Amino acid sequence: MPAFRRTERRKSMAERRPSASYIPPVIPPLSGLEKPNSHSLNMDQCDILILGTGLVESILAAALAWQGVNVLHIDRNKHYGDSCSTLTIDQLKKWSMEVNAGRMAHFSDAQIYIPGGKHNNTFTSKDYGVDLCPRVMFAQLDFLALLVKSRVYKYLEFQSLSSFHLFENDHFRSKLSNTTKEEIFTDQSILLQTKRALMKFLKFVLQDNADESKQELLRNNSNTPIEAFLKDNFRLESPQTDELIYSIGLCNAKGTKTPEALARIKRFLVSFDVYGNFPVMMLKYGGPGEISQGFCRSAAVADSTYKLDTRLVDFDPQEKIAKFNDGSSVKINEKIVVSPTQTPKFLAKNYAELEEKLQLFTVTRLTTIVRNDCKEWIAENETSAIVVFPPNSLPTNNQYSVQVLIQNGGSGVCPVGELIWYSHTSEPNSAKAKEDLESAYTKMESSLIRESEADLEGVLDESDFTVSHQGTPILVNSFKLGESLQNFLPKKTLDIVCKIGYVQTTYINPDLSNVLLDKKQTGNISSLTVKDSSDILFLNMPSSEVSYDGIIGEVKLLYQRITGSDEDFFDVDFEDDDEDYSQAVASASAAIDSELAIEDSDYDPSHHEPFGANEMEL
Amino acid sequence: MSFAPSTTSVKLVLLGEAAVGKSSLVLRFVSNDFQENKEPTIGAAFLTQKCTVGDRTIKYEIWDTAGQERFASLAPMYYRNAQAALVVYDITKPASFIKARHWVKELHEQASKDITIALVGNKYDLVADDNDSDDSLRKVSMEEGKALAEEEGLLFFETSAKSSHNVNEVFVAIGSKIPEAKPVTEELGSRPGNVGRIDLSGPALRSNLSDCAC
Ligand SMILES: Cc1cc2nc3c(=O)[nH]c(=O)nc-3n(C[C@H](O)[C@H](O)[C@H](O)COP(=O)(O)OP(=O)(O)OC[C@H]3O[C@@H](n4cnc5c(N)ncnc54)[C@H](O)[C@@H]3O)c2cc1C
Ligand SMILES: Nc1nc2c(ncn2[C@@H]2O[C@H](COP(=O)(O)OP(=O)(O)OP(=O)(O)O)[C@@H](O)[C@H]2O)c(=O)[nH]1
Ligand SMILES: [Mg+2]
Repeated sequence: MPAFRRTERRKSMAERRPSASYIPPVIPPLSGLEKPNSHSLNMDQCDILILGTGLVESILAAALAWQGVNVLHIDRNKHYGDSCSTLTIDQLKKWSMEVNAGRMAHFSDAQIYIPGGKHNNTFTSKDYGVDLCPRVMFAQLDFLALLVKSRVYKYLEFQSLSSFHLFENDHFRSKLSNTTKEEIFTDQSILLQTKRALMKFLKFVLQDNADESKQELLRNNSNTPIEAFLKDNFRLESPQTDELIYSIGLCNAKGTKTPEALARIKRFLVSFDVYGNFPVMMLKYGGPGEISQGFCRSAAVADSTYKLDTRLVDFDPQEKIAKFNDGSSVKINEKIVVSPTQTPKFLAKNYAELEEKLQLFTVTRLTTIVRNDCKEWIAENETSAIVVFPPNSLPTNNQYSVQVLIQNGGSGVCPVGELIWYSHTSEPNSAKAKEDLESAYTKMESSLIRESEADLEGVLDESDFTVSHQGTPILVNSFKLGESLQNFLPKKTLDIVCKIGYVQTTYINPDLSNVLLDKKQTGNISSLTVKDSSDILFLNMPSSEVSYDGIIGEVKLLYQRITGSDEDFFDVDFEDDDEDYSQAVASASAAIDSELAIEDSDYDPSHHEPFGANEMEL
Repeated sequence: MSFAPSTTSVKLVLLGEAAVGKSSLVLRFVSNDFQENKEPTIGAAFLTQKCTVGDRTIKYEIWDTAGQERFASLAPMYYRNAQAALVVYDITKPASFIKARHWVKELHEQASKDITIALVGNKYDLVADDNDSDDSLRKVSMEEGKALAEEEGLLFFETSAKSSHNVNEVFVAIGSKIPEAKPVTEELGSRPGNVGRIDLSGPALRSNLSDCAC
């Protein structure tokens, strides 16, 4: 009960006055006040200025803010997320125009196709959340642990993904990974011998990396392509190896070096069963764009200042005064962190100098929103799936794998009954990459049409009928019926809402070697010092990696460059959090229980019994 | 568990100009406390508080704005799935009322169509003892607030986080306007579009003892 409550409060002045005689208070005119956006930054100083609200920048902002660093975080766009935004269709259109106008560094060649026009392709832009750089989250990953530790997970909704499909010999297989661990190799078509070899290999992968015999084998094979390693040591060959390497391992290319491939395969196996019968999670409403927003909010809670639609126009390195396009000036006590798409003109030369030292990699993406619910590919109770086209599996003779992430309406990124297909490849030649992606798209399309039309009854659906006033059904779309019956394999195409392709460059190697292995990260722009201006830090573009691997490494590197050490990275005691405000002892102790539950689920390699390791004896 | 009243989970967002008392209202509602010189914003992801309305328990998930709204830079994440919003102004500050109008407009544009919005004129304690004198602190009349609320279909209250006047009433009124939702206790797959949601925080908090002080 409130300590103090008026049972009979006095009538307010307005209530006591008859309204006729009431003179309304003077309210200033609406103009000017209506647009809070026009406010200029009314602060005189900050410690760190961050340009761009992409994933790395946002995690960095939150990490710094929670250590008491005063962060000013701006973005020249009107939305959060920068290179890894989650955008509506209208925003995508604008974004593509920016890219093609050359205003979006590292992006090029944007093509957007929205068929039909207003009448036969009606959609509400706001119903879509398309990730510019979609990713999947392995359950056993440092990244998930960070989401929990930082409490940003509270802003997010996670959904499981267990269907990994591999395209081979012109059809899709999903025997190996779309299954529970009990049935992993119950596929009757696998020979017992192969099955044994696979088990032996999986046990080897799961073996402690500290084990001497394993270490020796890895050392001796540090440059061996994984295909050769599997053949020589485990007598495993295609097609089983393809599934291990490209589906489970999500490797990008042929000849992936053994240690990398093994780490990738292990990543899948140890992630299985952490939260359930799936290795990977997806976020509802969008991936990296959503997480960026979560970290920005976290940073704001820790007192960072946010302003979108704002650019840095000048910086005086002596006085350390930053000037913004809204007319305001702020003194920057420490450093400026710059996203690669938001480099101000006056820093372009410094950035170009650093670029010369680095190797450039290309990622080509094709994202399509289709009106189809693709029930065949997505597991029951799930909303997403992965489809992989390994090298040489497409008619274009693709040299790199094409990885496709599928999300349906249940994941909140598009309306129910529709799908978003995100495909990408790290093929360096972007013209070839586009061919590969188109080819993969065609394969998926025809497979989907084949599957949904195999059953003739499915040719007509409810939307083909309307009921007349008298109650008799009228066939609305008789043309479709005729066509379908005449050509059993019609040249029918999927109904597309929107299709967008673009090319992106990055200095992060697709094998992540320059963010994961190179401890000093010398081949990485985040570690390079700008000549004559050590206060400026440049960042990387997102990698081609389909998971969140390598992101924390980059954030920590920057954090360390700014604060001198990464030891206290998110070492935060959230004593101000909700528990403090709960008045009831009962709810407080329940809250502590739930904290323990989170801690328990944290990654602990020494206690985790991955993937039913001891159930694998044959 | 089977005898527990049905619990509805409600995401509630707070909007309003700086220093109108958003955080203070939450503090009053959640902890029945008031701080005279409250620091701007609070260091929490969001606060949760249960509240009994009739035979239902409403579990509020309260999102304070944390300052991102200062330069109109709220993330879409903030509005998304919000079933309720408190738009707060300070009845002694006319500018804050204009800002409130702005937020109502923004909510109608950004948030879901069936969001329940309450317009709240705070700091009632400052004018409660006013007589008819002209130097009253009140700068926004109750009629003015009511008129806006009627025009836009909002709930309307004048509150005081300091004296706790009308604070619980706001949350109870919102709770009774929220349509009977699917109980949170049968989480998985029960909410539409909530297929296969994974709970990272272990067993959900289920304390029946901490109903709100209303
Ligand atoms: C995409 C990728 C490429 C890699 N490439 C190479 C390489 O070329 N050469 C090489 O020697 N090592 C490579 N690794 C291994 C990596 O650099 C670490 O050495 C390894 O993940 C940790 O080994 P460990 O013995 O310390 O951990 P363990 O305790 O054995 O870790 C268990 C497993 O958990 C997973 N894991 C742990 N940390 C991470 C993380 N940060 N990100 C993703 N998964 C993680 C890994 O699969 C790891 O093997 C790669 C890892 C990944 C994810
Ligand atoms: N007299 C009086 N003071 C109040 C009331 N509510 C809040 N205050 C005071 O107003 C000031 C601002 O309150 P906050 O709750 O921090 O306001 P806020 O809207 O959360 O502010 P920001 O977080 O900066 O946006 C504090 O000094 C409070 O003590 C009230 O009902 N009456
Ligand atoms: Mg506040």
